[in-house]
Amino acid sequence: MMKKAEKRIGSVVVGVAAVCLSWIFISISVQAAPGIPPDFDSKGGKNYQRYDETPLAAMTGTDGTRALNTFYDRRQYPGSPPIIPHKVATAFSGDTAKCISCHERGGYDAELDAYAPVTPHPENENCFQCHVPVRTEKLFVATDWVSIDPPRLGRSMLGGSPPPVPHSLQLREDCIACHTGPGAVAEIRVEHSSRGNCRQCHVPQLTTGVFERKN
Amino acid sequence: MKLDRRSFIKSAAAGSAIAAAGSIFPGISFADWKKQEGASGQLIWKKAPCRFCGTGCGVLVGVSGDRAVAVKGDPNCSVNKGLCCVKGFHVVQALYGKDRIRTAKVRKGNKMVEVPISEALDLIASKIQETISQTGKDSVAMYGSGQWTIPDGYVASKLFKGCLGTNNLEANARLCMASAVTGFMTSFGIDEPMGCYEDIEHADVFVTWGNNMAEMHPVLFSRMLASRKRKGNVTIIDLATRSTRSSQASDKSILFKPSTDLAVANAICYEIIRNDWVNWDFVNKHTTFHKGKTNIGYGTEDHFKFKDAPQGITFEEYKKFLEDYTPEKAERISGVSAMDIKYLASLYGDPTKKVTSFWCMGMNQHVRGTWINNLVYNIHLLTGKISTPGNSPFSLTGQPSACGTVREVGTLTHKLPHGVVMKEEHRKMAAEIWDVPLANIDPKPTYHTVEMFRALDRGDIRFMWIQVTNPMITMPNLNRYRKGALKDDRFIVVSDVYPTPTTDVADVILPAAMWIEQEGMYGNSERRTQHFEQIVPGPGETMSDTWQIIEVARRLGFEKQFPWSEDEYIEKIWEEYRRFHDSPKHNMAPYSLLKKRSGVQWPFVNGKETRWRFNAKYDPACKPGSDFDFYGKKDGKAWIWARPYEPAAESPDDEYNFWLNTGRVIEHWHTGSMTRRVPVLHRAMPESYVEINPEDAMNLGVVNGELVKIISRRGSVTMKASINGRGVPPRGMVFVPFFDESYKINEVTLDAFCPISKQPDYKKCAVRLEKV
Repeated sequence: MMKKAEKRIGSVVVGVAAVCLSWIFISISVQAAPGIPPDFDSKGGKNYQRYDETPLAAMTGTDGTRALNTFYDRRQYPGSPPIIPHKVATAFSGDTAKCISCHERGGYDAELDAYAPVTPHPENENCFQCHVPVRTEKLFVATDWVSIDPPRLGRSMLGGSPPPVPHSLQLREDCIACHTGPGAVAEIRVEHSSRGNCRQCHVPQLTTGVFERKN
Repeated sequence: MKLDRRSFIKSAAAGSAIAAAGSIFPGISFADWKKQEGASGQLIWKKAPCRFCGTGCGVLVGVSGDRAVAVKGDPNCSVNKGLCCVKGFHVVQALYGKDRIRTAKVRKGNKMVEVPISEALDLIASKIQETISQTGKDSVAMYGSGQWTIPDGYVASKLFKGCLGTNNLEANARLCMASAVTGFMTSFGIDEPMGCYEDIEHADVFVTWGNNMAEMHPVLFSRMLASRKRKGNVTIIDLATRSTRSSQASDKSILFKPSTDLAVANAICYEIIRNDWVNWDFVNKHTTFHKGKTNIGYGTEDHFKFKDAPQGITFEEYKKFLEDYTPEKAERISGVSAMDIKYLASLYGDPTKKVTSFWCMGMNQHVRGTWINNLVYNIHLLTGKISTPGNSPFSLTGQPSACGTVREVGTLTHKLPHGVVMKEEHRKMAAEIWDVPLANIDPKPTYHTVEMFRALDRGDIRFMWIQVTNPMITMPNLNRYRKGALKDDRFIVVSDVYPTPTTDVADVILPAAMWIEQEGMYGNSERRTQHFEQIVPGPGETMSDTWQIIEVARRLGFEKQFPWSEDEYIEKIWEEYRRFHDSPKHNMAPYSLLKKRSGVQWPFVNGKETRWRFNAKYDPACKPGSDFDFYGKKDGKAWIWARPYEPAAESPDDEYNFWLNTGRVIEHWHTGSMTRRVPVLHRAMPESYVEINPEDAMNLGVVNGELVKIISRRGSVTMKASINGRGVPPRGMVFVPFFDESYKINEVTLDAFCPISKQPDYKKCAVRLEKV
């Protein structure tokens, strides 16, 4: 492990987050992204494709109504599939086309007065396999479940340096889908969405250790 | 290895650490949950098979401190390749319901009193001894589960069959997989699918027979959809009795009247022969034709007995038999148009198309369950579309270890880990491995599950130990069996993790370790054995089901047969059990390999998994020089069966004019004792309902959400109507999910079963409806 003094190496102010929360980040502990699938790189074409397909205007539009607190409120732990926060038909049956009509490319929904978040995995057609609505807030019996903290923001190693990827890339390997556009969560929306080669600067973090010579 | 809290934290700290958490955001949290105190932000990821269905998805459990806090799909597991369903993604939350059973409880008068677990185990052992001395060895019974780990089932079999000498050992897989087993045994002479999930990427056509895979096996269903999307020319046909999410996603939905799948399957074979789509080379070399008894009854009476009498027939006789099932005649029976039958036959018959059939409870929970399994195999055998990639008649399972524990270990009254109690060579093998006298193992099977609960009601069984299952929700004709269990001088022990209607009838409740709170193995639908280590400590005095049985066995004087220490018992049990399957037809992987990999398929021969059995290209157990070898049968030939259409045990009439069909929903697994304690799942599906066809609802004067009373000759349930909801039954049928203990729909169902498999039919009985 790194010594503490070595880790206190930089601070950064992160984009939109600064609007509501102005933090000076001190990199206290280095964190790795859990679960980088082995085919992350070989499947990386998805990212370029999304980048090509998404009009610049859609990438740079602003909305800012989706924020991290509601983002996490809809999840149980880092990486859990979010619940469906809006009304769906009672049948909510099989009609993937309906989900995808808003969530494949995003866009404004007048009824909800919101921009639809874009799914990073539109190739999975069976949406209700993982995403369910909320029919009641009550529980069957109380639970002793406890969760953990969400990943921290602003994990750059140097002032202004690109932060590594803090989350699992399983089902979330499409950076453009979540980190650009008006439906993106304000705190994690990038300001430089016109650049398509995300992995040029942002790398996954596979270990928390530092390099040590073995011999 | 047994972990307590302290040693766990120590071992966790030594493991490789991958971090995921650690926030400096005030006020931001996951779904408002309390946060773990003192969390280091370090998550350790450990592999396990999912706790729920028989698909056998690999999950990675994120552990922080001594708690499971997150889940990911295991990308190294070939079953799900990193994807899960909503149950799997939240499976760890099932560990933490506030009402976990943490201590043993013993009935004293009308009250359940907490006692140290050792006292409860003493009482169980003395009660077994007392009952045997008073009413004989066949008055004690154990009822286990397809959710038993493999070691759980193995020690149960060793204690009951080997040591106590009674065949009173059954498991709830009798209610879900028995017809699949007898289907395999009668057609192929050996159990479990010849293919594997990889068939999904190879097949051009899928036919799902009475199988709502979109909700019940969603991860496999997604694999099918992904294959269709990728290849473009893949066809999915949903052949079912009601419209479901699977129907909506399929290319064509075909509805048949309950029980008439028998006629449809025969008509498909008629068409295949009429059009000469038969693969003659395959049929001549690898099949023989047979018929059995007909009008075989329904088992609704106590002491029902049935033995089939198979007879060889010629192809010409078989062809003559099929004349009763021309597409036109089958249309009159089934309601499926002759055109649709011909279309189905053309898909199966097209030599350029690879066809996979999937089924699960629709075909198994069927009073002619063995027959319909045989008939679907017929289609694949006539066309030679079997045991090759993409050509696969595939029987899916519903429980994580229905295959691993119940079918492979053989925790059924007639079974042994290898073979059956009726055969001396099988008893000899068991007696030798178990180190018990040969005379201990009784050559006569006793009771199958329904008859076992009838025996409990009659008083032939006085003591029953129930582990990892909830029969006071799941037994058909439930009123009778609950009353039986509650009778004086019946003694019921229940090992479970949460209070259920079954713990409500218990005299002793044992606190069980759940899933990853113990080490164990499951076996999934595609012959894959999946090991998991103890990942978190269990609460209170919880103990693994295996260890509970070992403790009782030792109290009964069987220390010699149960000598293992708590540090290594799972490994020792596995290596002892593996001796039963030591042949190229069933070899299992060694413990060390199971620990490393996210599941290993058997037969595991010369360091390799066997993906397609009976095909010499893939299966080293085939005779040298053969192309296909159905080695389960002595002559290496699979059986094509002449099995007629026969109606259900109870069909709608003037008084009871609706079919009642029961089943599951995607959010809940089985009786909901685990999934209802997962917040996301309960909030999405808080209670059960009755699906009614819109026109029937209109005639009844019922709108969505209004109460309807469902009445059969056995009981009634009043619940909310769901009209044009998730599933839509055809006119004359209602459907009720069975997960909700507030609406015990099995008080309404009928305990009729397939006379060959003894598996009850939960999909067909007659009811009438009243608006409340």
